[in-house]
Amino acid sequence: MKSNVLTHLLLLAVAPLLTDCSSATKPAAAPASAAAVAATGKPAAKVGPAAADEVDEYATAKVSDPIEPFNRGMFWFNDQLYTFILRPISKGYEMLMPKPVRKGIDNAFENVKYPVRFVNCALQGKFKRAGQETGKFVVNTVGGVGGIFRPAEKIPALANVPAEDTAQTFATWGIGHGPYIVLPLFGPNSVRDTVGMAGDYALNPVNWPYLYWYGDRSKHDWTSVPPLANTLRSLPAQLDLYDNATKDAVDPYLSARSAYIQNRAEAAKK
Amino acid sequence: MTLRSFLILLMVASPLAVSAQLAEAQTRLKSAVNEVLAVADRTASRGTLADSLRPVLQKHVSFETMTKRAVGPGWKQFTPAQQQQATQLFTTLIIRSYSNKFTPGEHPATTYQNPVSPAASRVDVPTSMVYKGSHYTVIYRMEQEGGWRITDVVIEGVSLIANYRSQLDAQFKKGGANAVISSLNQSVSRPQ
Repeated sequence: MKSNVLTHLLLLAVAPLLTDCSSATKPAAAPASAAAVAATGKPAAKVGPAAADEVDEYATAKVSDPIEPFNRGMFWFNDQLYTFILRPISKGYEMLMPKPVRKGIDNAFENVKYPVRFVNCALQGKFKRAGQETGKFVVNTVGGVGGIFRPAEKIPALANVPAEDTAQTFATWGIGHGPYIVLPLFGPNSVRDTVGMAGDYALNPVNWPYLYWYGDRSKHDWTSVPPLANTLRSLPAQLDLYDNATKDAVDPYLSARSAYIQNRAEAAKK
Repeated sequence: MTLRSFLILLMVASPLAVSAQLAEAQTRLKSAVNEVLAVADRTASRGTLADSLRPVLQKHVSFETMTKRAVGPGWKQFTPAQQQQATQLFTTLIIRSYSNKFTPGEHPATTYQNPVSPAASRVDVPTSMVYKGSHYTVIYRMEQEGGWRITDVVIEGVSLIANYRSQLDAQFKKGGANAVISSLNQSVSRPQ
């Protein structure tokens, strides 16, 4: 029973963060420069036909990693945690819920996260995008039965709006990553992005009841349900990302780090 | 031809040449993607997908260039035999990794955007892909190697080659070409 409660609390505490990571590290899984070269295709001007043969064209994902031994330990710990605890839970969820149902649940939770996106659009001065987010939220909430469906995807002006989050706002403000850090459970992160995750947590309505009744939770047991459900529904996608970044890697730790840093650089640019 | 008419000709012709290049690379990419999807659709079992995709991928993807770039500056210190071995292993690894990303019955919908040419004989084709209900930004980087061939794939900002570069370069610094080859060997022989 006791351990049950512990697991519960653990999941609860991290749940929404885990979820917010999911949108942040969306696919898969370089310092900005390498990612920029690769992603925008604007390499240094010197790359000409002769230099195209050069092997130095790609910089490796550089981020300061002063506590690499600790991070590697945490990476190993997380791997065990995913394999022996979270993966079975995730598989169980996938077996119980047919895919269309899971998709609807995912859509609804992403829809509810609207304040995270809206506030961060505004903080970055992207007012047009803030408007698009609002339009998308209204259309999906009203026309998509509380966000279960995404009719906004059919409207070109509202489809595929890049999701903003707090860490991207910091990046836009010129704040660098700081040291790379592998967090327990969440995995790849940086000091800046960890603070960003806390911001996303506070802005996600899924956590509001839990935060509001923080000192008085015994009377409001239900407040832990939304964050827990949020974690559960995000597990399959999260583990998929992890697998993508590590499965065929030569060094899974470095692969995950590089993928994380490249992806965050790209997200911040959008 | 006077100098003036020559200059005018240059001004008119070079943008045309560039846009012809862009169109050619993009056409090549489209046919590559379609060929891959056709093979994937024909292949019923997931286990044999890597084998059936290999010829198509080798036609359109320059695994030689990919391996060289993934290894990085250390490549010059590989012997030709080591280079060949590394290329073989890396090719197998990438083909397997790519094949495993296919879910039977799921079809990616790709929208091609305007290609750009960041350097001579190089074209980046940005695409937007919807796969299993999620949007992905995928950039195919293509180079002229006696025909346009894919040399990198950048998914949501994550360059396949930059990602392996960070890993293989670390191996090279640890133990040279042999360390790179044995680490690739290990990844290839890891059970799926």
